[in-house]
Amino acid sequence: MNNISFGQYYPADSLIHSLDARFKVICAFLYIVCSFLCKNILSFAALLASAVILVAVSGIPMRILLRALRPIIFILLFTVVINMFWTTGETLLFSWWKIRVYYEGIMNALFIAVRIVVLIIGTSIFMTYTTTPIALTDALESLLSPLKVVKAPVHEFAMMITIALRFIPTLTEETNRIMAAQKARGADFTSGSVFKRARALIPVLVPLFVSAFRRADELATAMECRCYHGGEGRTRLNVPHCRPRDFVMLFVIIAFGAGLILINIYGVGYTMK
Amino acid sequence: MAKIRLEKINYVYSPGTPFETRALRDVDLEIKEGIVTGIIGHTGSGKSTMVMLLNGLEKPTSGRVLLDGVDIWEKPKEISKVRFRVGLVMQYPEYQLFEETVAKDIAFGPRNMGLSEEEIAARVREAAGIVGLAPELLEKSPFELSGGEKRRAAIAGIIAMKPEVLVLDEPAAGLDPAGRERILATIRKYREQTGGTVIIVSHSMEDMAEICDEIVVMLEGSIFMSGSTAEVFSKAGELRRIGLDVPEITGLMLKLRDMGVEIDTIPYTVSDAVPKLMKLLK
Repeated sequence: MNNISFGQYYPADSLIHSLDARFKVICAFLYIVCSFLCKNILSFAALLASAVILVAVSGIPMRILLRALRPIIFILLFTVVINMFWTTGETLLFSWWKIRVYYEGIMNALFIAVRIVVLIIGTSIFMTYTTTPIALTDALESLLSPLKVVKAPVHEFAMMITIALRFIPTLTEETNRIMAAQKARGADFTSGSVFKRARALIPVLVPLFVSAFRRADELATAMECRCYHGGEGRTRLNVPHCRPRDFVMLFVIIAFGAGLILINIYGVGYTMK
Repeated sequence: MAKIRLEKINYVYSPGTPFETRALRDVDLEIKEGIVTGIIGHTGSGKSTMVMLLNGLEKPTSGRVLLDGVDIWEKPKEISKVRFRVGLVMQYPEYQLFEETVAKDIAFGPRNMGLSEEEIAARVREAAGIVGLAPELLEKSPFELSGGEKRRAAIAGIIAMKPEVLVLDEPAAGLDPAGRERILATIRKYREQTGGTVIIVSHSMEDMAEICDEIVVMLEGSIFMSGSTAEVFSKAGELRRIGLDVPEITGLMLKLRDMGVEIDTIPYTVSDAVPKLMKLLK
């Protein structure tokens, strides 16, 4: 259980969870493109609606999704403020001292906020929340495999990421255990100056590195014992399958993008510059 | 008199997520002062969670942990004082060694207590004596020691804090028989020299039979049974029903009794069993 309880993966039984990871990576990419195709009120409304539908289909609770937005709140506020106060336009709504707020500024700020939020929610629904990190790495390996022609070490790269991901929970657990053990001996990680706190980490870092090297050694031996020799001719335990639903999802996204382009051509409502 | 008392303890890991697991449910327990209490149970029965509650490394989701009748979470800022009073040796404690020399590593706890250098040096020597680490080992790097020596050095690091209660989580796990015997000898010596309260978590019924006065059996986060070692091991049927066992020698004696051999009290250590068996052979 601990192997998947890190990162943001949220286990649930939804349509999006059941899609092929490779298609999800492509869909996430196309969805980003879609969010940049939006130019006017109607297209942004469509984008917002599509995000709501995605959330509903993914079966991920809003509470968990909002957690993904927490790290970008600052960026979000920053861009909103910049757009609101630094956009000049024709309709002046409000002016005080040197501050001028235009109708265009408000609309731009709103559009960009929607774009950022939808971008984060969309990519996290397609990738991090519904796909295990391992499946994601496998998908990347599969999608990047054409690069093998130019001798790019795609398999080795994917294996490195897989191993790194595999060891995140292990090392987290190890860190927690060592910290607990040192706390049991009276170590204090939370008080004192920055310098003192950095010093307090030595009793954690030394054993952690020792054990990380030991584990790396053991893993290398274990892999060699099982005749690992790189990606050449290696078959998979879980062979990815594309099913009709994967193509349907891909088609829906492409159609959505095409729809957005059409809306832009006919230009409804306020259009962003 | 109860040294440590757990009242209606519940502990839930990652509450509110799909990974929510309830490790302890409504645990009430009394640990008596001055004796050795053993805690047995399957993997995942909540033993390790429980010992982390005893010294305040984890805070119960609900319920109280009383040390000498005082709630240890009454003053959360002073929780580190509780950790000096209830010394916890975690599982595989050798992985916590970090200092340049064994002596410095043993001194880590006492130094955090703010003791004087003379006092620290005296405690390091004393603790090394209890765990049976030769003085010349003290100046070596802890990473040069053998597995068993590392384990004992780590235990010495806790003993040097002179805790009122010594808690050991699987102290003999993964050691060879000689290493295991030295750990048990350490615990016996510690008891003789300090008379302190000891709590041991273990899978090994043999180890438990040898050193525990009382035994607590845990099952799926609750206390299944508790009592003196003799009482608990006399209920072999119940223990076997939940997939645990009694010490091998107890199993043998029970079988002999079932076959019609007359045995008055069932022993649970080999040393107690030998005279009884000798008598039967005559």
